[in-house]
Amino acid sequence: MDFVMECKNVTYSYPLAETPALKGISVQIEKGKFYGVIGENGSGKTSFCALLRGFIPSFYKGNLEGEVLIEGKDLVEYKEVLAKKIGYVFQNPFTQISGVKDTVFEEIAYGLENFGVLESEIEKRVIEVMALTDIQDLAEKNPFDLSGGQMQRVALASVIILEPDILIIDEPTSQLDPEGTESVFKIIKALKEKQKTIILVEHKIDLIAEYADKVIVFQDGKIIANGDKQEILSDISFMNQGVALPQVAVLGNALKSAGLPLKQIPVTEKQAISLISDILKERGSS
Amino acid sequence: MENTYIEKIQIRKKNKLAALYPSTKMLVVVLYSLCTFVIGTIKITKYDLPLMLIPWYLVILIICYTSGALHKSKNALNVILGLSLFILVAQAFLVPGGALIWKFGFLKMYQKGLATGISLAFMIMDVGGIFVWLFQTTENKEIASALEASGMNHKISYIFISSLQMIDVLGKNSKTIMNAQKARGIETEGNLIVRAKAFFPALVPLILGAVIGSEERVLTLEARGFACKGPKTHIFKLQKSGCEPRVKVIAIIVTVFIIGGRIALWIL
Repeated sequence: MDFVMECKNVTYSYPLAETPALKGISVQIEKGKFYGVIGENGSGKTSFCALLRGFIPSFYKGNLEGEVLIEGKDLVEYKEVLAKKIGYVFQNPFTQISGVKDTVFEEIAYGLENFGVLESEIEKRVIEVMALTDIQDLAEKNPFDLSGGQMQRVALASVIILEPDILIIDEPTSQLDPEGTESVFKIIKALKEKQKTIILVEHKIDLIAEYADKVIVFQDGKIIANGDKQEILSDISFMNQGVALPQVAVLGNALKSAGLPLKQIPVTEKQAISLISDILKERGSS
Repeated sequence: MENTYIEKIQIRKKNKLAALYPSTKMLVVVLYSLCTFVIGTIKITKYDLPLMLIPWYLVILIICYTSGALHKSKNALNVILGLSLFILVAQAFLVPGGALIWKFGFLKMYQKGLATGISLAFMIMDVGGIFVWLFQTTENKEIASALEASGMNHKISYIFISSLQMIDVLGKNSKTIMNAQKARGIETEGNLIVRAKAFFPALVPLILGAVIGSEERVLTLEARGFACKGPKTHIFKLQKSGCEPRVKVIAIIVTVFIIGGRIALWIL
């Protein structure tokens, strides 16, 4: 197995906090996989993201035990270069605008400027990324005049342009309408196809079920489950621990306990349709 | 069609005066302000009033007009004019001393009050006016670019330019907050006391929001490699208009002339 990231028994408390926000986290992130991180509010998902991105402990300070390795090297050793390695996008689109650029084009180019990339290459890469995130029409607009969904796409574009291998995306759609959510997930899907390692925190469980490869479940600062999405999202016992499961998984479990011989518990709508229609066809033919 | 976007974000001004390099403009601003103080010491008429400050204001109008920015500057200049008039009237009627110039009922205007009133009001108009010219003819990113080109740390120029942009953003936010508070039944319109009461529920969320937002903005900048050491690229290239040496020479000559004239007046 090829691990890009590894946490070894990490416990972390924020400064002034009495109880740790993360307790004994041990996890290995595989290269090129899409991880969905779920759990209740305040269960440590965002702290986990900050930990993987190195904002814990370098920015938030506090008390950290254990180690976080990226490609076998301690995260602390990377320092500023980490921006090129790990992209980080979070919830609030409004605070993800640098605030020093007048146009979307310059906003996206800002990261490359900071790394001293040549001008001709900047132009080329920004155009590419704008095409990927479907914001060519906004190129000359002021970033502050955009809608939330558009801003979030600009924020994603500004991070993608640095071509990080790993992307940490923390609830990118929680402030967006369905249309904005869809446009953001389109981008995430395109990134998945580019073999990026993606760690996504998201409450919209149906979207996780559709896109993720693996699911990590947080509760009370601990990882209570980590594995294949099919396995975890179909496990009804998580419902009792405050984890929201996809609607179709709940349906599947109910049908199974009602005596319907489902081959497996579906986690996406597509699976559910094919599983149930298979059974209906069998019944029709018999 | 190479480098189209980079071409588009460049600022190209037709007007040679408006297109001056920011540091040249700054020199003009400093020298003009210096001259304003010198001219303010010239007292004429039998009441010893610094009346020369009034024609000196014409220079502002001429500079703004020739830079093609008179229309844009009108609002800002009017605000300064209103403030100056208020100061003039308040000073003229409230400061006693010297000869009585004018009397109407209980209102009395003394020489000293009128002199300080004129001096203060027109100095504000003159110095304020030249800054209006500077900011109306110069984009924020030109100033930031000039600052960085002069060897200033990119962190300081970031603070400078983001503060300027923040004024707009906070203005928009405050409107949103005002509307939200109105929806909750806080009266924001009416007389002075009603407005004063609405001040805190409007201001506290605005300031706290900005403070919390700044933490996330740090993370944003970090994610874009802001702290990265080594040379940075600047896709925005600041242009010189070509008139810089001429303008500098003219500004210095005028200043020398005015200071010389002031000294000559003392000696004679």
